[in-house]
Amino acid sequence: MQKKLLAAILSTGILFTGCGNGGGNNQAAEDKTTFTYGTVAYGVAMENVGTNPHESYSGWSCIRYGIGETLFKFNEQMQLEPWIAESFEQMDDFTIQIKIKDNVVFSNGKKVDGAAVKKCLEHLIENHDRAPHDLKIDSIAAVGQYVTIHSTEKLPALLNYLSDPYGCIIDVESGFDDGIVIGTGPYKAVDVSDTEIELAKNENYWGEVKPKLEKIFIKSITDGDTLTMAMQNGELDAVQGLPYSSLQLFQNDKYKLSQVDTSRVYQAAFNFYTPALQDLNVRKAISMAIDKENFTKVLLSGNGTPAVGPFPANLTFGGNAVTAVSYDLEGAKKLLAESGWIDSDGDGYVDKDGKNLELRYLTYTSRQELPLLAESAQANLKLIGIDLKVNATDNYKTFLKNGEYDIFSKAIVTAPTGDPEYYFTSHIIDGAVDNAGNYNNYYVNQYENELHNTFGAAERSALAVKMTQYILDDCALFYASNLKMSFVMKPNVEGFTAHPSDYYEIRPELEKK
Amino acid sequence: MNKKLLPYLILAGSLIFVAIFAEFLTPFDPYVQDLEGALTPPNSVNLLGTDRYGRDVLSRVIMGSQTTLCAALLLLLTISVVGSLIGAICGFSGGKLDTILMRISDIFLAFPQMVFAVAAAGALGGGLFNAALALAVIGWTKYARISRGLALTIRNLPYIDAAKMAGTTSAGILFCHVLPNIAGPILVTAALDIGTIIMELAGLSFLGLGAQPPTAEWGAMMNNGRSMLQTASWVILAPGFAIFLTVAIFNLLGDKLRDVLDTKNKL
Amino acid sequence: MRKYIFERLIQLVPILFGITFLTFAMMQFSAIDAVDFMYEHSGSVSDAVKAAKRAELGLDEPFIVQYGNWLTGVLTGDMGRSFISGKLVFETFAEKLPATFQLMTVSILLTIFIATPLGIISAVNQNKFIDYAIRFFSFVGNSLPNFFVGLLLIYFLALKLNLLPIIGDNIIMPALTLTIAMGAKYTRQIRAVVLEELEKPYVIGARSRGVSEFTILTKSVLPSALIMIITLLALSIGNLLGGTVIVETIFMWDGVGKMAIDAILMRDYPLIQAYVVWMAIIYVLVNLTADLLYKFLDPRVRYE
Repeated sequence: MQKKLLAAILSTGILFTGCGNGGGNNQAAEDKTTFTYGTVAYGVAMENVGTNPHESYSGWSCIRYGIGETLFKFNEQMQLEPWIAESFEQMDDFTIQIKIKDNVVFSNGKKVDGAAVKKCLEHLIENHDRAPHDLKIDSIAAVGQYVTIHSTEKLPALLNYLSDPYGCIIDVESGFDDGIVIGTGPYKAVDVSDTEIELAKNENYWGEVKPKLEKIFIKSITDGDTLTMAMQNGELDAVQGLPYSSLQLFQNDKYKLSQVDTSRVYQAAFNFYTPALQDLNVRKAISMAIDKENFTKVLLSGNGTPAVGPFPANLTFGGNAVTAVSYDLEGAKKLLAESGWIDSDGDGYVDKDGKNLELRYLTYTSRQELPLLAESAQANLKLIGIDLKVNATDNYKTFLKNGEYDIFSKAIVTAPTGDPEYYFTSHIIDGAVDNAGNYNNYYVNQYENELHNTFGAAERSALAVKMTQYILDDCALFYASNLKMSFVMKPNVEGFTAHPSDYYEIRPELEKK
Repeated sequence: MNKKLLPYLILAGSLIFVAIFAEFLTPFDPYVQDLEGALTPPNSVNLLGTDRYGRDVLSRVIMGSQTTLCAALLLLLTISVVGSLIGAICGFSGGKLDTILMRISDIFLAFPQMVFAVAAAGALGGGLFNAALALAVIGWTKYARISRGLALTIRNLPYIDAAKMAGTTSAGILFCHVLPNIAGPILVTAALDIGTIIMELAGLSFLGLGAQPPTAEWGAMMNNGRSMLQTASWVILAPGFAIFLTVAIFNLLGDKLRDVLDTKNKL
Repeated sequence: MRKYIFERLIQLVPILFGITFLTFAMMQFSAIDAVDFMYEHSGSVSDAVKAAKRAELGLDEPFIVQYGNWLTGVLTGDMGRSFISGKLVFETFAEKLPATFQLMTVSILLTIFIATPLGIISAVNQNKFIDYAIRFFSFVGNSLPNFFVGLLLIYFLALKLNLLPIIGDNIIMPALTLTIAMGAKYTRQIRAVVLEELEKPYVIGARSRGVSEFTILTKSVLPSALIMIITLLALSIGNLLGGTVIVETIFMWDGVGKMAIDAILMRDYPLIQAYVVWMAIIYVLVNLTADLLYKFLDPRVRYE
């Protein structure tokens, strides 16, 4: 009997050890030429699987992981600098000439010349969904190291758009099989799947700083907790996208942190078709009831900056260049009372003509901070007597389409190309695709026309400030927080820093000491 | 009342008492936020600490008993009553009706309960009601089977014939003779089922398919606290142990009830 | 026997019809228009294009025709494409199924290897300390929801003791999570069966004839416990299939359960449909097999 039991127990034990891969989970740390990176930002849901920049959002993967490079790149202030390009010249309002650096080669050794760039851009506008709409290219000509682009209309932001990840210059002739493209970056893709990218050193890299690692593994780990624990367990060298609540686990000398303000903002648009919200006092009261400080400090664990307007402080037209109402619950109550919203039946909610002030707040959950903002807004609005019905669903587009919301909250990168115009044309002007609030301000629309025809960063910035101030004075939207992006890494990792554009992650400087 | 049963009845009863009067028992408002006081570890004021919004965890656990327990008990009541009625009618009347209803129940029985619930909640959208509905759609079949089996046996007993001869209507026989005899086994099954249902409802909420925030519900509370397992474990442990205790108490009650009513052979 | 199997298979037909119909109808409840969803990311697409796509996909046909088309698809393995990834639904499902099966198989084996000895030990030592200890633990295991068990395992095994890797295909923690609840239930029931068996006249007779306890256990008690185990297994497959949804989600185990949850979050209806329908079919087939096995193993049960 006992023998039999012993056998049974032993065999269970064997089963145990046989199934696991054992406890050796620190391989990543041992090898200094291999880098393992866990990220929440890669995957089917993000529409960026593969590395082909001419497909959906896969260009982000191409540029982030050091496979492709664009003609120009953004510096820390989100201003453009030459990258593959050496210089440019604005020939007239419609024509720009770009000179390509003489020493740039693709990872297969082929030289990058004007013809290669022309071929790549032509393939881009033929195949990509957003690029042709942004770039408005009429024709491209190539001579030697020069590329001349002629636009169908005045396009001051052309170079910004060319610096979008879809603008990665790749060798079109080498094909796109298995999601692998040939770029000019410090690393080349070896194996690409929906959940992992394997990179190898580009021996032909043209830049001054040569890549130092032999192999890099980009692992898509979309579950924040798994990511946290894998990093703690030493299975990863660096991670991006940790849940805020777990960041504090890494704020000690066992890890390094790199953080930067991005232009991703949490905003909420008031629906101007909702009668109660057509009243400025109500919109203002709600904006004043949002506790941005504590939302950022507590719910985002400090990984952001309380937002004034849509743009972060590192942009000339962002941060305190504009002013907004501040947190003031008593003031908010007064504004509501001024407009006749008073709690006359003592149920805790303000009412007018026998009806409580009840608003539908629409948002989604795939950005983990949005439900947090919703819950905190809900609790705060209750304090001023507004009954907020939160609808957090990833099916939000149906509700948007049917107009079934009074406030729509989302996260959005407001200046992906360092230029303000995109935000206004997509979210603010009358008829814009993402103008969920149906906001329509005559002056803002007029200034947008002006912006569209204005060259020069300083002039464009001044216009953007004026337009933003209109939005804030109208309380058309409220802005909760600008998000900080954080990389957590082991202390021996060097050259891995977060960039405000969210574009450049793996760079030639990256190494393990 | 049986002495063996009494302590468990008292325990279960007090749980139900807490659930019903939760509003009056919470030390703080379970929904009022205080971001400044977020994630405070358990202390003399907030006995179980606070969550990421600064809400009192103890108050939310107490309030959660109402959400979880009431939903589970209501669901159970519905499926056991509806299920046993259908089963009893089928077993008692037999014939075509019996065949049709039992074929239908076969179809529902073919779905693993949680699998169906997950998909149904997904299709209908989240919400505690939808989650309970999804569980109910499959859950009733079990009771229908049991009561049908019992009704079949009872139907052929001599006293039913006697009742028929005495001119009692079919409905009368069903309600006066068949159902009372089914009640015992059904009660035991139901008591043993409470724990499972609580865990399934909480599981759906844990997956984000049941109760939605800010509702205080144990499974949802654990889901919201998942990323804080290391930094603020009380946020997860409190509702986790609440589920455990509740399920344990009802399981004990079910076991004892079975022993007392000794329905094992009938089942 | 052959006739019985045939009859059972015939009985399956209406059930399969019911399963598929119910699944299909359920998804029609959802407010999402598949075509709108497909074009969601393609900027503005005219209604004419959408209408053409609808016609192409047969979505403008009456409900019953659509169901017919879909059913043919289910049977031929052509269940359309995922809204999100654009991949063939059946392919995606078939790709993820082995992982779920692996998880289930390991959990079942673990359960049997743990619960059988524990149940027997408990019964043989009835009302002694070890019996109480085993009963206590099985009671606790039975009252813990599996997501709580999973989180506790992560916390202690992976984080506090640093025993197991988090990423990669490590099956121990997910399998253990499923095993704890199932094992607790089995232990109780195996104990009950063994106790009942030990009180039967033939055991008492064997004892009085001087047959050793060990022989009694292995020759008489274990075989009847085996039948119990098979019945239990068949019954618990349904729970196990449900349990994998939660466990796969917690441990990022790349099986069909996690696929279903991901699909629900993204409203990828074709994938959810495939999941429900195939899980139900598998469940029905497993039950049938168990039933036949049961009859095969236990000569007392007559083929009706």
